[in-house]
Amino acid sequence: MTAATRAPSAARPRPAARRPGLPTLRLLRLELRHNAMAWLLPVVFALFWLVTYRKTMAMPPLWNVRAASLQTGIVADFAVPVTGAAAWMGSREARRRITDQVMITARSRWERLLVTWAATAIWAMLAYLGCLAAGYGVTAHQASGGGPLWWPAAVAAACVLLFCAVGFVAGAFLPSRFTAPLVAIAAFFVLALSTEPIHGSQSSWQVSPIVTGPWDAGVQAGVATFYPFQPDLSIAQVMFLAGLTVALLGVLALPAGSVGRALRAVAASCTVAGLLAAGTAVGLTGTGSMDAQGMLDIPALHDAAGDRPLAFTPVCGRTAIPVCLNPAYAAYLPATASALAPLLGELAGLPGAPARIVQEPVAYQQATGNSVALQLPRPAVSGPPVLPLVLPDQLGQPAMTAAQQANQVVTTYGPDLVADVIGDGHGASQAQNAVATGLMMAAGLRRLDVYQLPAGHAIPGRQPPTAPGGPDASRSPDVAPGTPAYAAAERFAALPSAVRHAWLGQHLAALRAGQLTLAQLP
Amino acid sequence: MNVEITGLTRRFGSVAAVAGVDLRLGPGVFGLLGPNGAGKTSLLRIMATAMRPSSGSLRLLGRDPGSYGPRCEIRRRLGYLPQNPGYYPGFTVAEYVEYFALLKEVPSARIRVAVATAIDRVALGDRGKARLRTLSGGMLRRASIAQAIVNEPEVLLLDEPTAGLDPEQRVAFRALLRDLGQRATVVVSTHLVEDVAAACAQVALMDRGRIVFAGTPDELAARGDGQGAGDTPLERGYSAVLAQARS
Amino acid sequence: MPRENEGAVITRARLIWLYAVGRRVPVAVLVMVACAAGLRIALLWHWDTYGALQLPLIFETAAAVSIVATTADPFGEPERVAGRWLPFLRLAATVALTAAAVALLAAAGTGGHLAGGTLDVLRNVAGITGLGLLGAAVLGAGLSWTGPTGYLIAAVYALYTQWHPPALSTPWLWPARPPHDLGGATCAALVFAAGLVVITVRGARFRAGDAD
Repeated sequence: MTAATRAPSAARPRPAARRPGLPTLRLLRLELRHNAMAWLLPVVFALFWLVTYRKTMAMPPLWNVRAASLQTGIVADFAVPVTGAAAWMGSREARRRITDQVMITARSRWERLLVTWAATAIWAMLAYLGCLAAGYGVTAHQASGGGPLWWPAAVAAACVLLFCAVGFVAGAFLPSRFTAPLVAIAAFFVLALSTEPIHGSQSSWQVSPIVTGPWDAGVQAGVATFYPFQPDLSIAQVMFLAGLTVALLGVLALPAGSVGRALRAVAASCTVAGLLAAGTAVGLTGTGSMDAQGMLDIPALHDAAGDRPLAFTPVCGRTAIPVCLNPAYAAYLPATASALAPLLGELAGLPGAPARIVQEPVAYQQATGNSVALQLPRPAVSGPPVLPLVLPDQLGQPAMTAAQQANQVVTTYGPDLVADVIGDGHGASQAQNAVATGLMMAAGLRRLDVYQLPAGHAIPGRQPPTAPGGPDASRSPDVAPGTPAYAAAERFAALPSAVRHAWLGQHLAALRAGQLTLAQLP
Repeated sequence: MNVEITGLTRRFGSVAAVAGVDLRLGPGVFGLLGPNGAGKTSLLRIMATAMRPSSGSLRLLGRDPGSYGPRCEIRRRLGYLPQNPGYYPGFTVAEYVEYFALLKEVPSARIRVAVATAIDRVALGDRGKARLRTLSGGMLRRASIAQAIVNEPEVLLLDEPTAGLDPEQRVAFRALLRDLGQRATVVVSTHLVEDVAAACAQVALMDRGRIVFAGTPDELAARGDGQGAGDTPLERGYSAVLAQARS
Repeated sequence: MPRENEGAVITRARLIWLYAVGRRVPVAVLVMVACAAGLRIALLWHWDTYGALQLPLIFETAAAVSIVATTADPFGEPERVAGRWLPFLRLAATVALTAAAVALLAAAGTGGHLAGGTLDVLRNVAGITGLGLLGAAVLGAGLSWTGPTGYLIAAVYALYTQWHPPALSTPWLWPARPPHDLGGATCAALVFAAGLVVITVRGARFRAGDAD
């Protein structure tokens, strides 16, 4: 059956030339004004403050430490709200039953969805940049050396975009009331579990965005302060995250009717390219290994120039024997120098005493399983006697205040220093034990029972503990209260400083040779 | 002809929602009547390119919507109001209409005027900045009509457009339809025969997926002379044609 | 049983079933079963320190959000004014689903190294569900997940700080408290009770599209 109406209308005039991009920008503006991500910003900021900001700001003001903490923390804080909000926005057309109305418009579904995704991503990135600015801004104010590390920031940014893509695609394809919360939780779950399979520094799983360096080493304060930050791992992570993001956004165009044939081919290519990039990044990460500077070297991405130490002018205190630190640790200098000053005053000018004490980096080495060994620096063989110093922060110990660090330096490094000058140690005479103890008493240090090192560490020029299963038996066993050596130490400490110093100047050689007895001590 | 349909069929499983429909439509207002489940909405959705036919041919504005490029061009010049339009409650009326103007690729320079014109034509000019969630059902329906006409479509498909409108607004809407029909092909699917009588130059009656009557409203009314149930001539003609088609 | 009573029972059962289907309760149950299965698989490995507590918490939160998602109201006003059964149905559905979630997760932990045990599961699921119920009353069921999922991050961090001081310890972050801690249990119970009351009396805030 046929029905016909009146004559056909006159030909429609051609539409005026369009300014490309402007309608898309207008669409984007509309989407920005009505995006669920904007409403979730308070949740994001609250989580950032509670979980990441406070913890990060309590860490030493070292750029590598703070940047690593911010990267890991922001990735964890943003995972759930960003993924959930993106899933919510991706499912919007179906939830609001507007699919038919928008489907029959000229603009392709892919373009329409990409604009919505872009608006969500822009809000998420604005939140991220705000959090980053807060963390980096305060650190810039507090740090005394180095500068912002931008690669960790890039990794976190790429991760935020990936969360957005994951959530959005899930919402677009599964527009159910259950999608947003479950996808958000699943994203966090995958993130949390992504580090479980990591074993050793050559694990591909280190491409996970919450990993900031060799996983077994953890966040080390001593990394990227004496040597440049190596972005190998960060580059691989950005490649991985960006590849996955592009792949997911390309998937949006694959359903029939979403876009024309040519653009669908482009989208499919993007998906394939993205997956290839992600896979390549995973493979590259698996070729990495921890270098002596504690960073991950990926051969294909490594810049050999980064293996050279950074040139810097150390900051030095005005003690009798100058203590010099890397400028990044300048905040610790006053307390450290002040704590060591009495002891350095006792030793300055003695034969064999160091001319300077200079902070040096530790060397990292992957040990068996998931453990890492730290190698302490050795004194220079030639040249003026300069003794290396390693701060507790460089040994991966829990964060401390400057005063706590200084106290630990004195209690762990001080005896080393005295022992090197006096010749105390394994096989030393009672006179040497007594003089060493007396010097520490004179410097106001508390009597040490046993000097204990962090496990696995070695003292420059000294042997590690030899007594199986117990503390170092060579460490002043006879200087317990009530022993003759202790009494001699007390007498020695009670001498005027000038007398003590003069005596040492005359008798140090004989003392080091073990030729003196307790009775010969003043 | 703006709409050319030949042997159009659409199946949902074993059910033929549209079963061999032929239509040729030029500018004017064309009414589509029929009982519930007759296939009106399915036919309208196919014409709106929201759904593909199972078989048959469809040409809109001289183009085959089966290919992506022609389909895009058709959609730029098409307006569609579904039976239950959705909306984003947070949008204002103006934003809602502008959104569709952008999706329909109305030239940037004309968007503002097009949106204002569309809103004025549905008598929501004073509610342009009101959020959709604050509007009554009738106003929402008018806002949805505005989004369908913002691009001055050459083919306008309206499914139950007057649902929820008060009598005064229905009168105004019929006048709008007549005005639009001077330049465009307007297809109105409705249960309200008085809308058809007042606004449509041609009317088709569908039953069980087929067109069982095509002609003018007067011709439909004439079919009910002395037979058929109803309070108006058009209703009597409607019921008479259906009864005959089903016998 | 007299035929009239039998008919009434069948009618009520039918009402309960239709209510459950309309609220996507079967899907929520499937999600909870999946959570329990996931927890069971995860417990095949040995988890230590805070990981042992954080892992079950993730599954508990997933179960809680699926319970809260069932508060979405697909019918709006016609349902709200149609008789007196709606509050009872809301109450019964929420309590039953919460109990089912606790039972499934506790069963999944049986025989495994479920740190915290059944008490932990009960407290966490009930408390986080309560958070979501309150969110549903304010934001609508569609966005009710924002509270529980944000809370998950805070709770995971609080657990972490138990091993990396300073500890973030408040009874309002009950997952970080020991299973027998009265303060944490009280806070969780209060939140659950408040959410239950609000949802029973008022239901989730109605938003078109939340129920899809």
